[in-house]
Amino acid sequence: MTSQREITISPTTRIEGHGKVTIILDEAGNVSDAYFYATEIRGFDYFLNGMEADRLPFIISRICGVCSTAHVLASVKAIESIYRTEITETAKKLRELLLMGQIISNHSLVFFFLILPDFWFSKEEDPSKRNAFQIMRENPEIGRKAIALRSFATRILDTIGKREVHIVSTIPGGLISPLKEKEREELLKAAEKACATTREAVNLGKELFEKNWEEFRKAGDYKTHYMALTGDDALEFYDGKIRIINPKREVFSEFTAQDYMEHIEEKHYEWTYAKFACLKALGCQKGIVQVGPTARMNVNKKAKTEFANRELEEFKRKFGSPAHTTLLFDYARLIDLLYACERTRELLEEENITRTDTRVKVKPKGGIGRSVVEAPRGTLAHEYTLTRNGRLKNMKLIIPTQVNSAAINLNVKDAATEFIRKGEIKPGLLNRIEMVVRAYDPCIKCATRDATTSLKVEIRNREGKLLKILS
Amino acid sequence: MKVNIVSLTCCAGCVSSFLNAGDALLEILSQDFDIVYSPTFVDLKEVPEVDLAIVEGGVRTEADEKLIREVRAKCKILVALGICATHGGITSLGNVISVKKLLEKEYFVLETSKLPELEDLMYPICNFVDVDYYIPGCPPMPFLIIHSLKSIVSGKPPIRHQSVVCIECNRKIIAAKLDRLYGIYEKEADPNLCLVSQGFVCLGSLTREGCGAPCPRAGFTCFGCRGPTDSLLYRSRDLYSFLVKVISKRTGIPEEEVKKELYRNPFIFHTFIFSKFEHFKARERII
Repeated sequence: MTSQREITISPTTRIEGHGKVTIILDEAGNVSDAYFYATEIRGFDYFLNGMEADRLPFIISRICGVCSTAHVLASVKAIESIYRTEITETAKKLRELLLMGQIISNHSLVFFFLILPDFWFSKEEDPSKRNAFQIMRENPEIGRKAIALRSFATRILDTIGKREVHIVSTIPGGLISPLKEKEREELLKAAEKACATTREAVNLGKELFEKNWEEFRKAGDYKTHYMALTGDDALEFYDGKIRIINPKREVFSEFTAQDYMEHIEEKHYEWTYAKFACLKALGCQKGIVQVGPTARMNVNKKAKTEFANRELEEFKRKFGSPAHTTLLFDYARLIDLLYACERTRELLEEENITRTDTRVKVKPKGGIGRSVVEAPRGTLAHEYTLTRNGRLKNMKLIIPTQVNSAAINLNVKDAATEFIRKGEIKPGLLNRIEMVVRAYDPCIKCATRDATTSLKVEIRNREGKLLKILS
Repeated sequence: MKVNIVSLTCCAGCVSSFLNAGDALLEILSQDFDIVYSPTFVDLKEVPEVDLAIVEGGVRTEADEKLIREVRAKCKILVALGICATHGGITSLGNVISVKKLLEKEYFVLETSKLPELEDLMYPICNFVDVDYYIPGCPPMPFLIIHSLKSIVSGKPPIRHQSVVCIECNRKIIAAKLDRLYGIYEKEADPNLCLVSQGFVCLGSLTREGCGAPCPRAGFTCFGCRGPTDSLLYRSRDLYSFLVKVISKRTGIPEEEVKKELYRNPFIFHTFIFSKFEHFKARERII
């Protein structure tokens, strides 16, 4: 008789979307396997076929309300690559500003509302109190900082994107309206403040992180490849080359968005039914790759802005390059945030950003187009095939959470093995496992737009006994 | 007041919008508004009994259905936040083809114990439970959410928005003389004229106000994300001919021609305006 036991954490809390962790224990009560997977589905990849390209960016945005701006930008870029449209410098700068707004909006949410409670409270804390609202009650100043940063991002998106969530200003060919001088001045003033607030947030995060470091480092440090956009070795989000480094920090490959699908493929692992994304050249056993904040720090050597560069250098000094420990995602995310604020200020200081040439005429065509941007959670790729009449024939999106799925699962298993021995689970330890998942800031909303990602199918007999996991 | 915030099948944009309310958010959080359950923010795994439940997202899986029934049973007031919860939203585009069928084709065994079964269609939550207030929008604007919640917290019904987006839009409506309709990217919009008068298919004349008309004000056509307005609610079959009349009047293009052009782009309506709204009976509850 088998005495296999399962532990389920459901729903996984303080992440975006509906997720679940299942940990399978062997007869001795030790971890034999662990999975993190999504339990919702919407089917975007199917129902958009036939849609006019005009509307795509606007609809694609609805894949995810948290990183909608990144999706809109990737979408218009992909369409422009089919139309062979060159947008103006002004439009490029405004789009980069929007993307910075996206990063600030997401990272301030993730840091203050999702991650901070894990750093702030002791692990014995009553779970019902372990949340951002409790922190805000205990320390209203932190609440004000969180809201100030989030509001700054909202303002950028509202001013340039014309809506806070699901922006409408960005269309193939550029932006529908320019930035006014008065708007620029006001945003710039707000950016100065936001930079100062972010520096305080970075210090707070670092302090709490260092206090807990000895414990954090135990939770998973799987050595993988890393991928991110780069512009002459510096952090880059909107444009640039895609670079992949190996676990020893040697450049594995470097290519443009047009070649993305030649380097990354979707494949099944043997131990799960999920369709993950990995390096084509190495196959999915050896070609596990991670994207996101840590990957951006590992791939790049510097940042173009002053304080972010300083923090990046310190990060590399302290944790090595490449850094592998999972929870460093939380640290690296703060450097992203700092860069985004500083870069926003830098862009707003350029007076020619208010030029009125934000839009060029597009010539619709059929064909295949690809684009890549750095979304908050990592490298995001869109590929569309349009018909001669400008309608969607096929769509393929490779989402950061899909790329990270393999690493998330391996690290969850790693962490579970560390925390559960001989069937003994102490309270608070399950949250440590959730922290590993949370570090990746996985976006289940994005990963479940389609039916074929992040799903695991288990076959059970009538008594509910697990017979087989399909692979 | 104890509050649950629940996400069903959606993009999480409505809760993001709630978080974008800035100082108004801080204010409401400092009042009698205690969020006790919310998988996005709070670690509680079981749904508790509360005074107010805010639900974003619609019902796509059996797990969603089970959850919404449980949430309803455990709250006094239930607010449907956003067009997915109120009408079915963008995921209802999947109602045209059966996502379930596609799934069965891809995964030959669907007898899984872990993954929730799919419903046949994407439903708004009012098909399963009674809803006290509907706040449609994709997403509803932060100020609209906060104003409505503040009223509810103080025991008053929120202010309703019964007219159309056009009254919040500052563009001037004229009867133009055009030969055809235009796609959004085909030409630059005049900043002062009504978008329909310029030949763009803007749905502002069908759509409930309350958003402040950010899209048409910026020169982007309204997509109807607040759903049909009061006067059009019980005659949904007439929405289409109503729009044809409006476009024809403002552009000078004959109705037959307008119809032909609209047929070519069916997604215009199906995105939001024609989402399912089956069991909807109480228009005085739409905010």
